[in-house]
Amino acid sequence: MRLLPVLLLAALAACMRGATPDQQAGLPAVRHDEHVSAGGAAPKAVRWQNPYQRDKRAADEGAKIFTAMNCDGCHGGAGAGWVGPSLADGRWRFGGADGELFQSIYYGRPHGMPAYGGLLLAPDAVWKLVTYIQSLEPPADVPTEAWQ
Amino acid sequence: MTGRGAGALALLLGALGPVAARAQEAGEDGQWTMPARDYAATRYSPLAQINVANAGRLRPVWTFSTGVLGGHEGQPLVVGHTLYVVTPYPNVLYAFDLTQPDYPLKWKYRPDVDPNAVGIACCDAINRGAFYAEGKIVYNLLDGRTVAIDTATGKELWKTKIADLAQGETTPVAPFIVKRRVIVGASGGEFGIHGWVKGLDLRTGRLAWTAYNMGPDSEMLAWPGTWRSFYEKRSDLGVTTWPKDAWAHGGGPVWGWMSYDPRLDLVYYGVGNPGPYNPEQRAGDNKWTASVLARRPDNGALVWAYQFTPHDNWDYDANAEMILADLPVGGEERNVLVHFDKNGFAYTLDRATGEVLVAEPFVHVSWARRVDRSSGRPVVDSTKLTGASRGNVKDICPSLEGGKTPAAPAAYSARTGLFYVPTNNLCMDYQAVTATRIAGTPFIGANTPYHAGPGGHLGAFIAWDAARGRRVWEIEEPYPVWSGVLATAGNVVFYGTLDGWFKAADATSGRLLWKFKVGSGVVGNPIAYTGPDGKQYVAVYAGIGGDWFLLAGDVRSDDPADVRAPADFIRDIARHTSQGGMVWLFAL
Ligand code: HEC
Repeated sequence: MRLLPVLLLAALAACMRGATPDQQAGLPAVRHDEHVSAGGAAPKAVRWQNPYQRDKRAADEGAKIFTAMNCDGCHGGAGAGWVGPSLADGRWRFGGADGELFQSIYYGRPHGMPAYGGLLLAPDAVWKLVTYIQSLEPPADVPTEAWQ
Repeated sequence: MTGRGAGALALLLGALGPVAARAQEAGEDGQWTMPARDYAATRYSPLAQINVANAGRLRPVWTFSTGVLGGHEGQPLVVGHTLYVVTPYPNVLYAFDLTQPDYPLKWKYRPDVDPNAVGIACCDAINRGAFYAEGKIVYNLLDGRTVAIDTATGKELWKTKIADLAQGETTPVAPFIVKRRVIVGASGGEFGIHGWVKGLDLRTGRLAWTAYNMGPDSEMLAWPGTWRSFYEKRSDLGVTTWPKDAWAHGGGPVWGWMSYDPRLDLVYYGVGNPGPYNPEQRAGDNKWTASVLARRPDNGALVWAYQFTPHDNWDYDANAEMILADLPVGGEERNVLVHFDKNGFAYTLDRATGEVLVAEPFVHVSWARRVDRSSGRPVVDSTKLTGASRGNVKDICPSLEGGKTPAAPAAYSARTGLFYVPTNNLCMDYQAVTATRIAGTPFIGANTPYHAGPGGHLGAFIAWDAARGRRVWEIEEPYPVWSGVLATAGNVVFYGTLDGWFKAADATSGRLLWKFKVGSGVVGNPIAYTGPDGKQYVAVYAGIGGDWFLLAGDVRSDDPADVRAPADFIRDIARHTSQGGMVWLFAL
């Protein structure tokens, strides 16, 4: 199932010559669901768009990168959650919009989410991961666990 | 406890005034100054006020919320009349004054721990406790540092970086102190670390030696003249039993419990799994992973080693405690080391040489038929070998949770001659895939779903005769038993359950004497001590956690952004418990 790791790493390194996100129009918007804007006005930010939105092939490639980059080792198979939070429950600590997911993966998050941007993953590969994660359908009954 | 320790205690008691006299009556017996109470790692308390006749009248006398969720492994310490508690990440240290009504805090110490450690710690942000020596409480912060805290003031005396998060190393293990050497290790068997133990100076925290668990003899501190293995004569086994350079990322973590024989001057500890889980990436025995190592505390020199699971195919870490006892084996009194391995065999070894005297399964075992006494090697069932080319290998028992989890130590009572052991009744399927090592990310390469073993219950608490290699009695439990054990001179044994019960049983018969629901599942280790009032107390943590392989995450309620389905094999555990962190004290 897994891509040949060496080939994959080489391919990713090749894409790295493209623009890094900082050099584009600015930092992406990060809006947690829980964020409250003081005074009711949100600060200005750029809204980043996933170039692969709902693209099935990009999602499939993202799924392969997800195992090749050992994401599954922390987030569980199919992102169901392990030491890292579930990515398949439709709920987010740092937001599920395109730019928010991009930031989580590219720059990392404080409680042990490694930053993959730079050496390992070029922006294109990160967008494929975002597409894969957004393709994970949360089960209908997430809020309730019933035993009978 | 050492003479030096006793001196420090006398000073401490002097400061306490009127209670000192009574405390001295209680003497060393009334304290619990190191994780397993003694160097032999027996977890046996000589206190006998609580006995088989009155244990049914135990009642809770005090509780404290640690303010932290996450698995509360490890155990409190009682030194003089102070109770010390270390929490899981963020590793707060509390010191409670047992001489005052309501046991108020003397101080609390809040270290600045790198939150990144939470994601790098494979299985939960747990801590296995502290060690007391020479007026210091010494313990590890999860992010790879060891600290020493002054018991009088709560102030930090030294802090030493021992491990590297960026390489996947974290440090939940309890330090072990012998003769002014603080011996520490690191977790990371799922992250492709190069496993080691280090010896620090108790006074200054300075690094004195580093000994790797695999690699060339020079790095393993396996010196000619000192090093002799009972079954292996060749040199550089830590290199030659691996493909080229694979040992350098081959795992071999140290996260369990240590013991020490003062007569032989040997420290014993278990080494964890080789990485990755896909064994085809590391042909060979992979020495000395899944092994017990015996070293000199002063300079770390390796004296002997024995590998329980050569070329481990099943994540059978050998980090469980090595309990030292003197037992009649085959009609002869022997100085032995007893070890309940994840691989399902209970081993009785000669602790001077590492020779196998007894090795019998203590749970249902399907991966091996027996252990061959002449070679010391298991006789493996080849249909249970795993690897990326072998597809999904079914029904391997025990599961990688182990016949017993190394996290939950057994106890030994010289009074009954029996070992008291928490066990899992779990089997697994094992589908290996090729894994890539990327520093700071998992290096695993296997999917390993569990199912219940024979009988359908998921665990049992058992009594084991290590001289003969047989089970004497058992208490079946619906869930895996993940707490450590306390044995006492009152002939009562204590353990806890994942569904939140704390239990007392008759050490001879296994009859249940008492149980109490402590709220959250128990994965910590009970202790006994004498209070300033001269009474016997029993302390234990409640606080389920410690393994996201075992607990799917539906026992959590603290994060609205992380909601998970239950694990198939243990669907109803969250019906009975949820996370929490409590210290409980019980007395008559
Ligand atoms: C070493 C373990 C580890 C690895 C490897 C890892 N993650 Fe994470 N991840 C975490 C942790 C822990 C968090 C939570 C961080 C926090 O709360 O600060 C997280 C958070 C995230 C989030 C944000 C989730 C949310 O609820 O907002 C995303 C998205 C994510 N990871 C995706 C990935 C992807 C994609 C990969 C592989 C390229 C990956 N992770 C690899 C541990 C890991």
